[in-house]
Amino acid sequence: MSIAVETKQQVAEIGEKYKYGFVTDIEMDMAPRGLSEDTVHFISAKKGEPEWMLEWRLGAFKRWLTMKEPNWARVHYPKIDYQASYYYAAPKNTPLKQSLDEVDPKLLETYKKLGIPLHEQMALAGVAVDAVFDSVSVATTFKDKLNEAGVIFCPISEAIRDHPDLVKKYLGTVVPVTDNFFATLNAAVFSDGTFVYVPKGVRCPMELSTYFRINASETGQFERTLIIADEGSYVSYLEGCTAPKRDENQLHAAVVELIALDNAEIKYSTVQNWYPGDENGLGGIFNFVTKRGDCRGKKSKISWTQVETGSAITWKYPSCILRGDESVGEFYSIAIANNYQQADTGTKMIHLGANTRSRIISKGISAGKAQNTYRGLVSVYGKAKNARNYTQCDSLLIGGECGAHTVPYIESRNPTARIEHEATTSKIAEDQLFYCLQRGIPQDEAVSLIVNGFCREVLQQLPMEFAVEAQKLVGISLEGSVG
Amino acid sequence: MLDIKNLHVAVGGKEILKGLTLSLQPGQVHAIMGPNGSGKSTLSYVLAGRAGYDITEGSITYNGEDLSALKPEERAAKGVFLAMQYPVEIPGVTTMTFLKTALNAQRRARGEPDLDAIGVLKLVRAKAKTLNVSEEMLKRPLNVGFSGGEKKRLEILQMAVFEPKLAILDETDSGLDIDALRLVAEGVNALRDPSRAMLVITHYQRLLDYIVPDRIHVLAGGRIVAEGGKELALELEAKGYEHIVKVPA
Amino acid sequence: MTGITALGLPEARRNEAAALFRARGVPHRRIEDWKYSDLKSALGEGGIGAAVAQWQILHQPDGVELFDLTQSNPPEWVLANFARTTANTMSAASLALSKGGVALRVPKGVCITNPLKLDFTAAGHVRALLVLEDGASLTLVEGVGPGHFRNVGFEFVLGEASVLEHVRVSPDAGEAVLVEEMSVRIGAGGQYRAHFAAFGSKLSRMEVEITLAGAGAQAHLSGVALLDGKRHSDVTTHVIHAVGNTHSTQLFKHVAGGNSRAVYQGKVTVAQGANGSDSNQSAKALLLGENAEADLKPELEIFADDVKCAHGAAVGDLDAESLFYLRARGIPEAEARGLLLHAFLEDAVAEISNTDQRELVRTELLTALKAMA
Repeated sequence: MSIAVETKQQVAEIGEKYKYGFVTDIEMDMAPRGLSEDTVHFISAKKGEPEWMLEWRLGAFKRWLTMKEPNWARVHYPKIDYQASYYYAAPKNTPLKQSLDEVDPKLLETYKKLGIPLHEQMALAGVAVDAVFDSVSVATTFKDKLNEAGVIFCPISEAIRDHPDLVKKYLGTVVPVTDNFFATLNAAVFSDGTFVYVPKGVRCPMELSTYFRINASETGQFERTLIIADEGSYVSYLEGCTAPKRDENQLHAAVVELIALDNAEIKYSTVQNWYPGDENGLGGIFNFVTKRGDCRGKKSKISWTQVETGSAITWKYPSCILRGDESVGEFYSIAIANNYQQADTGTKMIHLGANTRSRIISKGISAGKAQNTYRGLVSVYGKAKNARNYTQCDSLLIGGECGAHTVPYIESRNPTARIEHEATTSKIAEDQLFYCLQRGIPQDEAVSLIVNGFCREVLQQLPMEFAVEAQKLVGISLEGSVG
Repeated sequence: MLDIKNLHVAVGGKEILKGLTLSLQPGQVHAIMGPNGSGKSTLSYVLAGRAGYDITEGSITYNGEDLSALKPEERAAKGVFLAMQYPVEIPGVTTMTFLKTALNAQRRARGEPDLDAIGVLKLVRAKAKTLNVSEEMLKRPLNVGFSGGEKKRLEILQMAVFEPKLAILDETDSGLDIDALRLVAEGVNALRDPSRAMLVITHYQRLLDYIVPDRIHVLAGGRIVAEGGKELALELEAKGYEHIVKVPA
Repeated sequence: MTGITALGLPEARRNEAAALFRARGVPHRRIEDWKYSDLKSALGEGGIGAAVAQWQILHQPDGVELFDLTQSNPPEWVLANFARTTANTMSAASLALSKGGVALRVPKGVCITNPLKLDFTAAGHVRALLVLEDGASLTLVEGVGPGHFRNVGFEFVLGEASVLEHVRVSPDAGEAVLVEEMSVRIGAGGQYRAHFAAFGSKLSRMEVEITLAGAGAQAHLSGVALLDGKRHSDVTTHVIHAVGNTHSTQLFKHVAGGNSRAVYQGKVTVAQGANGSDSNQSAKALLLGENAEADLKPELEIFADDVKCAHGAAVGDLDAESLFYLRARGIPEAEARGLLLHAFLEDAVAEISNTDQRELVRTELLTALKAMA
């Protein structure tokens, strides 16, 4: 699908959200402050959920009350008041701006650099979008094509109503309700998210994407995604969070569950550019996300690719449980932390089945006063005969006030398994920079070029449309970092 | 075109160039020869504007403009090109991407429109052929794993693509065998042009067998100590630097 | 009271250590640093006790000064260097509970060629201090004697341009639970070379924290572990490049057979501004037993940009191709495996500078390899 078509379709979605969703959301804002069983009841009722779903949520909520916030990651942040209204009041009640003139010019400058067309800029900045973008036909074509293939791609709230058997069968089977503090919280209060089911033997005819739906609907703080690839199917899913927001620290605790059955493959790509806070470390998103894929079937494959440039704090470990024999897990990551950002991200590759393989390529870039940590686990269990892992972990430091940290855990319990891990730390060499300058490339562009080179192995994993955007993002997020 | 007057340059507080004066006209090729440590590389870096090379006295005028006031990338856009002795490796950035980025950055700085990918490809391919730079080389990360000869050929290819007005060739002959040297020299000679000036910096005379200069300056102790026509190179080769260079105390 | 308190060593520091240990308790696997070594469960009901372990000097070369920490009137160099830090949980326990130990010093500029041989024996807690003054040099051979549970707190202070080679061999200690915490501080131009050979026990943990405190300071760590049966061995290192132009290397080779568990945790920290730090870390493990486990955690913590830091880690089996090659040349499989295992470990053994000690470790390994074959 071309970018233009995709964009139109997405903008159409925003338009719809605005027309039908937003007014209701504003009413939702009147809901009682704080988090209680009532809140859970309220969300469930709002979504028109069946009883079993409400029970599931309430169970999670009870459990959550007994849990403690994890503190092992290398991130520091002020204590989150979970009883403050702001974190459930999912739809922000920022009034819609009437024109681009009201939008911070700095923000617009960023969009321009990203190459986002004017209409999209308006949507991203929360400017009212009118019927000009009513491209219902496009959306319909899109839906038809998926329907034809039997692919279900809908909001998870819709799936709970329309496909309860599938949801019941898979929800919480990869990330259990009790998994961790933030995942449990999500289970109790998730407000929206995406559901994908690709039936047996189907190769999803297009890349599925929630490009900036989350931002548009502004209900994204606790979204929940569930993707099931049935036997022999294939799906590529793109998730973009490229809308910076001008906000106080705001909690984003999503859960993503992927299930790949026999011979199925899921490719999950993320470009995350939540608002990182300003250059003094004020504001920004706290991104505490649990993403896990289960290679449940034999010869299944799950591949995570992430480009993380945003958020004040990133706490995220997209993982693979390699349960099926000969299953494959991949993790390709670029994490950029500038100014006062803190990123603690990596993966877990849990080898349970025989002949399972995993590959981890992580590129961490630290600049300003940021702290960037790769934290990864490769664990081979006794039955994972001939398991293989290769990990390459490279850090790039820009300036002497940031930190780059690498914390790999390697655990092997099978003598036939082979695990290799390598890590390097480097900086942008002065001679590289000078070479670029001498050939006429200005400093910021040179930094962007060199860093993109450093990240190349990961960028190559992204679908084309995303790769272009990600490359620009890499440059923008590091602007001015070399003095 | 280029006027260097009484140039004093310090690196890390230590004076390397101590009053160098040199003038270069369009269409001319001048050679700077000198023993190790005479300040040859310092001269090339200060012309290109590398940080850490401080002009403490004197001036560099380029087409009537004070060159030292410009950033390195501004100099490049105005046609100053330095073929480096040790071209730098940039992992992950393909040679083609680099050429396109640099070319368009220069064009943009001059107010010219960007060339699209196909335009750049055509331009580069045409020039690459004569320098024996393969398609495969253009796809590899810039200078990474290139042999000495490949790196130098790529420098000359860049010179051909960017079409500078002032080209400074810093020890372009170093690390090259005779065949590679000939190929590089042919590439340089093909770029001799009435509108282009070149400054060829070398330790040895042999490069000047292939790139014949209009004038030779001998640099020693941070100053030009001897000047002459191309025959000066032969004299240096026969008698060594000690004979000609009487380094002032 | 006798011992450390009687010495006039700061009572406050000992109380501080006791309080710290009380607050934290015996480490267990839920404590991040002890994830792979559950001391609490290995000790069981008995806990860490309050017994006092012994030390023994087998060979004291001329020029090495000794002070028994149970004696009164400690010299200035003991007072100045003893119990400088108490942050480590088990080190705090040894400080709080040991009633004595040994302090050793090599005075300024004294170079000693004969190795100093120091053994720790019996069960309980014990402290040791070794001070090398500026320009001094020494080889320390540390023996690990039997004892049901022993906790050694060992401090090293290396002056400017001093050189210490430390070789520690920990023989198969069966059901014993042995922990040792070393803290090493190295001044400008000083050099610490250490080799740790371990044959494991029910739980064995050797923990070393090294601070490269002066420009030009170097630490070179190497080690081997050869484990069979239900043995466990944990080497935990933390090298801190506190200032720039410091250099560290680590090379650890572990072989785990039977139901054993070989653990390596190594952290390298480069402090802000410590430009020109150079660190290389390599940890490799071979698993031989169906139920053996190898855990590797090589960690980098970098706060400066002008550094060269790299680490590599690998777990696997013997290279099938090499094995085939040797067998094709007529070497029986068991012997071929032995050869390859020995070759795998040899890299790390070769790091020992002292020829006698190198041979000694080699012999121990060969004997153990034969027993395992």
